[in-house]
Amino acid sequence: MSTSFLRMEGICKNFGGVKALRNVDFEVNTGEIHCLAGENGCGKSTLIKIVSGAHQATSGTIFINGLEEKKLTPIASIKRGIQVIYQDFAIFPNLTVAENIAMNSALMQGKKRMNWKAARTLAVEAMSKIGAHMDPDILVERLSVSNRQMVAICRAIMNDAKLLILDEPTTALTHHEVSMLYDILRKLKAKGMAIVIVNHKLDEIYEIADRLTILRNGENVATGPLKEFTRSRFVHCMTGREIVDNLYIPEPSSEVILEVKSLGREGAFKDVSFTLEKGDVLGITGLLGSGRGEIGDALFGIHPSEEGSIFLNGKPINIRSIQDATTHRIGYVPEDRLTQGLFLTRSIMDNTVAASIEKYFVKGRLDEAKMDEVTWEWIRRIGCVASDSKAPIRTLSGGNAQKMVIAKWMNINPSILILNGPTVGVDIGSKSDIHKILHEFAHAGVGVIIISDDLSELYYNCNKLVVMEGGLSSGVIMTNTLREEELASLLHGNSLEN
Amino acid sequence: MNVLHSLLRGKERKNNLILMLLALSIFIAMTILSPRAFLRPANLKGMAVQFPEFGILSFGMMIAMISGGIDLSLVGIANLSSIVAAVIMLQMGDSVLSIVLGILGALAIGAACGVFNGFLIGYLKIPAMLVTLCGLQLYSGLGLAITKGPAITGLPERYGEIANGSLIAGIPNPVFVFLAVAIAVGYLMRSTVYGSHVSFMGTNEVAAKYSGINNLKVTIYTYLISGLMGSIGGILISSHYNSAKSDYGKSYTLLTLLIVVLGGTDPSGGKGNILGVSLAVIVLQMISSAFNILRINSFVKTFVWGLILIAIMLISKLIDRKERR
Amino acid sequence: MRSNIAKLATTNEAIVAYTIVALSMAIGIINPAFREFSTVITLSRAMLITLIFAVLQMMVIVSGGIDVSFPAIACFSSYATLRLMLSFDIDSVFFFYAVAGLMGVCFGLGNAFLIAKMELPALIATLGVSSVANGATLAFLGTREYSNIPEGVDQLSRSFLFSFTNSGGITFQMTSLILIPLILLVLAYLLLHHTMLGRGIYAIGGDRFAARIAGFNVIRIQFFIYMVAGFLASVGGVTFTILMRQGSPQNLMGSEMMVIAAVVVGGTRITGGHGTVFGTLLGVLLIAIVQNNLIMVGVPTHFQSFVVGLIIVLGTGITSIRAKRVANSSKV
Repeated sequence: MSTSFLRMEGICKNFGGVKALRNVDFEVNTGEIHCLAGENGCGKSTLIKIVSGAHQATSGTIFINGLEEKKLTPIASIKRGIQVIYQDFAIFPNLTVAENIAMNSALMQGKKRMNWKAARTLAVEAMSKIGAHMDPDILVERLSVSNRQMVAICRAIMNDAKLLILDEPTTALTHHEVSMLYDILRKLKAKGMAIVIVNHKLDEIYEIADRLTILRNGENVATGPLKEFTRSRFVHCMTGREIVDNLYIPEPSSEVILEVKSLGREGAFKDVSFTLEKGDVLGITGLLGSGRGEIGDALFGIHPSEEGSIFLNGKPINIRSIQDATTHRIGYVPEDRLTQGLFLTRSIMDNTVAASIEKYFVKGRLDEAKMDEVTWEWIRRIGCVASDSKAPIRTLSGGNAQKMVIAKWMNINPSILILNGPTVGVDIGSKSDIHKILHEFAHAGVGVIIISDDLSELYYNCNKLVVMEGGLSSGVIMTNTLREEELASLLHGNSLEN
Repeated sequence: MNVLHSLLRGKERKNNLILMLLALSIFIAMTILSPRAFLRPANLKGMAVQFPEFGILSFGMMIAMISGGIDLSLVGIANLSSIVAAVIMLQMGDSVLSIVLGILGALAIGAACGVFNGFLIGYLKIPAMLVTLCGLQLYSGLGLAITKGPAITGLPERYGEIANGSLIAGIPNPVFVFLAVAIAVGYLMRSTVYGSHVSFMGTNEVAAKYSGINNLKVTIYTYLISGLMGSIGGILISSHYNSAKSDYGKSYTLLTLLIVVLGGTDPSGGKGNILGVSLAVIVLQMISSAFNILRINSFVKTFVWGLILIAIMLISKLIDRKERR
Repeated sequence: MRSNIAKLATTNEAIVAYTIVALSMAIGIINPAFREFSTVITLSRAMLITLIFAVLQMMVIVSGGIDVSFPAIACFSSYATLRLMLSFDIDSVFFFYAVAGLMGVCFGLGNAFLIAKMELPALIATLGVSSVANGATLAFLGTREYSNIPEGVDQLSRSFLFSFTNSGGITFQMTSLILIPLILLVLAYLLLHHTMLGRGIYAIGGDRFAARIAGFNVIRIQFFIYMVAGFLASVGGVTFTILMRQGSPQNLMGSEMMVIAAVVVGGTRITGGHGTVFGTLLGVLLIAIVQNNLIMVGVPTHFQSFVVGLIIVLGTGITSIRAKRVANSSKV
């Protein structure tokens, strides 16, 4: 019989004048997997931080196991059995697996001495509980992302966790690893644990959630069992508007922008070929490690290819470094916006011209007025919501910031624009804005390549697809010859019928 | 007017204004306290000869800091450069050619050390603090190996003119060297593509790489220029004292750090301006002279420098915290 | 089992050990006197003070910080206390260490406040404190060097554990003061390896944010580190005074480089989170061997600074490159 473990009623949280949460009710039962979804800035991270004790609610009540919690501090939260696994896991790369796993409980028990043997035993025990097998003495810095996540989970459950909160746990995992993770979560659920997953990926939510809560603008707009949510209801609750998905079909053109022949790099991918004509939006997908990201790395010069040839507008080119790529006007919008794409403390203007400063070096000095002018042009054209071009770009929301990263590359007047995971962590409204803009650019003659693992994004926005598996490509598939489910099955290793 | 506007923007503007006021107040205070000693031409001349020495070194520190690093080896480069110049000049006798070659030799050393630093930092990715700390030891050690200990003296008289003479209006030459370098570096940082790239790299190295900036090149140029700053400083110092030694200016490392921080340079990289650093140089020179005139123990100076450095960092951090709220 | 041995054999510490062995053999061939036990005694004496400082620096660097103020703190506390003792005719070793240690802790408190509480960059903060301490010593306490160490204290400098006469007939005495760094090394090892506090130091150096949310009181641990560092700096200063039989206000200044280099060469990464007590010992040993035997290998005095600099660049370079290699290696 599942009971309410956590019940939050009428939670409000203000930061200065900003109302991050308004009257939010949220309830999680034991033995259930509850997904918390919402756009960027909807308040889901604030809610999680209140549950973990990192923030205090401005008003509202929190009940844990039926008892009211007057003041939930981080220590109190941990003592009640609430464990949060953040996106970067917050584990120690310079310590061993055993230490990482055993550390929390040792700290909680106020232990002064470090007992290595006990730590090791504890770690092995925790790992067996979830079916992980790692060398407890290995330093975490040598582990893959998925294994690090295991370590984080082991650590969490060692603390007698009753509520496990995972913040966007699947972003860096391959599909197989996601399945493994979900198996572990189901096992824990069967043991009565309450689990909250913050996730934005529709397909994954549908695979694992029992119940769903959607936040929008700081309010709880919908809660209920998963079966009460159709896809359109889900999207409608998230954005407040109806999003219509149509397949992207460009005007046919014979103008070939990019031709890639038998491109390969040892250990990454082999014999990849495709062409990009004017108007094309090419989608490259595949599981993590299949070569999908690596092709983008090769075209942008991050990890150059070793064999094969690349033709840009009919002429053969050699890309051995990022400088080569930018000389040929190839742009790249990276996966990790915060560390790779943005200069957070710099102004929106600085970020917009970062890749094209040379253009503004006129008559022996930099023309700042022109840079500002160009920034405003882009802000308007790309639909970014910003009031001051000199404000630091970290004041923008994820979606708006991403738009400016795209603007940065569009400002070099690119022949090719490669985007790796362009809409990760971007709200659904901005997501569709970005797709629209990319279609416009493609129409104007920019070769657009989208590398992504978001199947619906690829299906509805790319007219051509390349599916990678184990470094080998499926060849170019015209999207309009596929049904969406077929794409999913193709991704998981089943070849097309015809 | 545009130049002035671009010299003073935003937060930099506030900081620079404060520095200007500070400089003015100290000048006025000293004029009131000891007008005869302070306003004596010899004193003013002394100040004017001295501040370019560490001032130009500060420019090197500033550039390194803006790039996200630090250059603790400047004093070592200065001494090594001056020693090499001295050796060349002593070999070649007293002629214009000899002096020119000596200067070129010094500059070459500064460039070489700078490139070495830049390579270790940019290519091998060894933290700047460690590289330049080791560099200091290495370059000073090389200088010591060449001089075998005592200072090299007896440099050509005309060489001494560089620091001690004055070509225009009785204003000591170093002032013009300082101005020229300040304008050059200021132009470089503010108005060139390279200047923007350094700033971006110092703000976020990864994002800079992904924006097409060649971090390795930018790093090597940065420490190359810093190295040149070191050798120019070394030339001024050795010209001033007519001798080259491997351990002059030991206190200058802390001083240059203090100056750049006072001048508004952000230790974590990406931000800094030449006007601020120049003003800070002048403020500190005046404080230093004031101490001398007021017969304050020079060790008290060290003590005060330390206090000021800590105070500046604290104030700046407190202001930062208030703004974030 | 085999892979464990392979792992051990290629650690930073192992490489330093090989270098020491190789170097020792080379020197031993050139200068047979090196091969005698007397070398151990002279080396111990040379390494004594550096070891004390290296232990403190290693701890600070592992936690992700750095401390360049230790020579200044050492000078100030030992000099001030000595002058106090001379003025009031106090002759007690305990007093010397205790009072100087207290001063050191106060400086350490200052460092801790700036770095842990106010979050100033450690290099600049400690540079400032160094300047303050050094300036204060010379400006307010004087520049005179004192050779009249109180008798009771001075006795300590003459006491020895055992003596050894080498083949040349010269007698060497192993000073009792060597016990201080030895005890410190053991204590440091126990602390860092066998207490939660010690693991916390590594944790902070590994990921400060993760350490905080794991439940470590990061600020408290940092206060501990810098205060202990200040204390140990004073211990080093007092021991130096006793060993040299002279109270100087500034003789230790300038030793920052060597100590940091020894620590880094010994495998401690300047970026924090990695380092062992044993490695630090090896690092200090290597640098001491180099510094003390260059003359025997025929390197003239004025060249030594350069050669040491070269070796430091090599040593620190290798540690950094190895660290990079690990970061870029394929993951399990």
